[in-house]
Amino acid sequence: MSFSSLPDASGKRWRRIFLYIGAAVLLYALLAPLTSLEAAQGAGVPLLTDKLWFRIATIIAMFVVMASAWNIMGGLTGYSAFGNVAFFGIGAYTCAMLVSRAHWPLFLAIAVAPVTAAIFASLIGVPLLRLRGHYFAVASLGVSVAVGEIVQNLEIGAKPVFGGATGLFLPIFRFDNRDLLFFYLMVAAAALTVGITWWVLRSRFGYGLIAIRENEEAAAVMGVNTTAYKVAAFALSAALTGLAGGIFAQWNVFINQENVFPIEYNVQMILMALVGGAGTLFGPVAGAIVLQVLIQFLSGSLPISADIPFVPPDARPVVAQVILGLLLVVTVVFVPRGVIDFFGGQSRLSLAYLKRSLRETSV
Amino acid sequence: MGNLAQLVILGLLAGGVYVAVGVGFGLVWGVLNIVNLSHGALVIVGGYLTWQLFTAFHIDPFLTLPIDAIFLFAVGYAVQRGVINRVIRAPLLFTFLLTFGLNLIVINVLLLLFKSDFRSVTPSYSGAGIELGPVVIPYTRLAALAVALALAGGLAFILNRTRTGLAIQAVGADRDAAQLVGIDLRHTYALTFGIGAACAGVAGGLISLIQAITPTAGEPYTLQAFVVVILGGLGRVSATVLGGLLFGLIEVFAQSLPGSGSVYANAIAFGLLVLVLVVRPQGLIGRLK
Repeated sequence: MSFSSLPDASGKRWRRIFLYIGAAVLLYALLAPLTSLEAAQGAGVPLLTDKLWFRIATIIAMFVVMASAWNIMGGLTGYSAFGNVAFFGIGAYTCAMLVSRAHWPLFLAIAVAPVTAAIFASLIGVPLLRLRGHYFAVASLGVSVAVGEIVQNLEIGAKPVFGGATGLFLPIFRFDNRDLLFFYLMVAAAALTVGITWWVLRSRFGYGLIAIRENEEAAAVMGVNTTAYKVAAFALSAALTGLAGGIFAQWNVFINQENVFPIEYNVQMILMALVGGAGTLFGPVAGAIVLQVLIQFLSGSLPISADIPFVPPDARPVVAQVILGLLLVVTVVFVPRGVIDFFGGQSRLSLAYLKRSLRETSV
Repeated sequence: MGNLAQLVILGLLAGGVYVAVGVGFGLVWGVLNIVNLSHGALVIVGGYLTWQLFTAFHIDPFLTLPIDAIFLFAVGYAVQRGVINRVIRAPLLFTFLLTFGLNLIVINVLLLLFKSDFRSVTPSYSGAGIELGPVVIPYTRLAALAVALALAGGLAFILNRTRTGLAIQAVGADRDAAQLVGIDLRHTYALTFGIGAACAGVAGGLISLIQAITPTAGEPYTLQAFVVVILGGLGRVSATVLGGLLFGLIEVFAQSLPGSGSVYANAIAFGLLVLVLVVRPQGLIGRLK
């Protein structure tokens, strides 16, 4: 019992098998789209993807970006940002405005999206990051709601500045293999996010952030400029989220307040990071993939979706939400340290582990 | 001047609802250190209960309020005892997510039960009111304000004058010390959450008299409860009363400004929130925690 935190041989082997399977699935997911290229089709390679597949895969990559970016602030620095969707929306609107109003070239507009998000985060970060705990969480949530509302309603001389409630339509760029391009673009953003997290985790900057998470006063005494570090982490997190927003705007062609400022994204990205293991490198990635597949499955948009027993088809989206809520509750209650513990070699996902984690957190 | 008086009265009436929604939320936050994201959903459960009792059994909506309170007390007690107590020592993000999950469950179960149609409670006297210049102040809104203030008064009485209330305050002040002097933590936590939920139920009953309700109608109230509690300050019922009335006034005045309108309701609320948090984090008359 008391040795359950030590991985034994069989646990190790299972973990390795899971990792191999995961790597194989990931590799397949990354390479399968190539079969849609004309050259591959000409050479008689069987087509392994379709429109739906691209859509879901791109959304998953987008959530990998958002969960990993949140992880820099929420996981490493320990500040529960609850309003990161503001940066996603700001990135999306920056990109959309530049392309549709100022007629900038596509990739330049995408490159500017993270910059505006980072600038905005730095500006609000200075006052907001003086708050801690619930207060910071609530204030950041408030900012994301307020920004969405302002973007939707701001008018100058009775003319909506950002397209008003109708939203913005972007000019459609004609590319060969458009789906393929945006899929790889989003995957590149995900890879960049993970790469930056990897760098942060082993840099002086990252150690400073972890020091702040563990004990902010002590970090300050040790010579960490806590304000600068926190604002930098917030801006970095915002920039990456904004990048995902910028790519999303171009990919989706149409954006409005509802599809780029959805409050539930705030919660989803946190949940993904927590389920996978906040503060780790690959935890948020794993969490994003697993949860997004689950969300898509529950809402019935996966082709392999089975019927949920006793549920009429029209009630399915609602029931899916109930199941998601139950899952959230069960995850939080039983696995506070995330399933990544299982793969990360720190603990086995055993009954004893569940009992111990329950005992630690309950009264 | 007449216009100003009118706005003040309208603001106070709007504030009554915020007081009712805020007191339960503030109690749970102050004692359990939980920001209950399902508070608005619980409010709407109270609203549906009143609606159901009114439409099916023709019970006067004001008489259903105690039933709302008892029902939601039971639900709240069970949820805290069975679920939230198990993660009460976890980092705050976990309780945040947990209550968000509860919120999701409650709203969608309501959707399954009642569909997303608008429901309103319209007793025979709902149209009557006092004429005040060009506007009519419905009696129901006046009564709602009175009930909200009575609710706050009752809560303050329980917290400050009864053994149970003092136990709740003791737990909120220092969990371990309270346990040392023999207070049953699990029970007291569950009681606290139950009382918070009961307040939400009463608030919901009042709200069903004032506006049409849908399963998602409670969402804004969770956010507004935040603002109200922070505005007044944590740890005192009277602070929440002040915060609620003030928030009602600010909302009514902001909406009467030319060119702003109600589209910025959330932006105004949160702008105010961030301002208060940064300038005076303990709220107007709250106790620092």
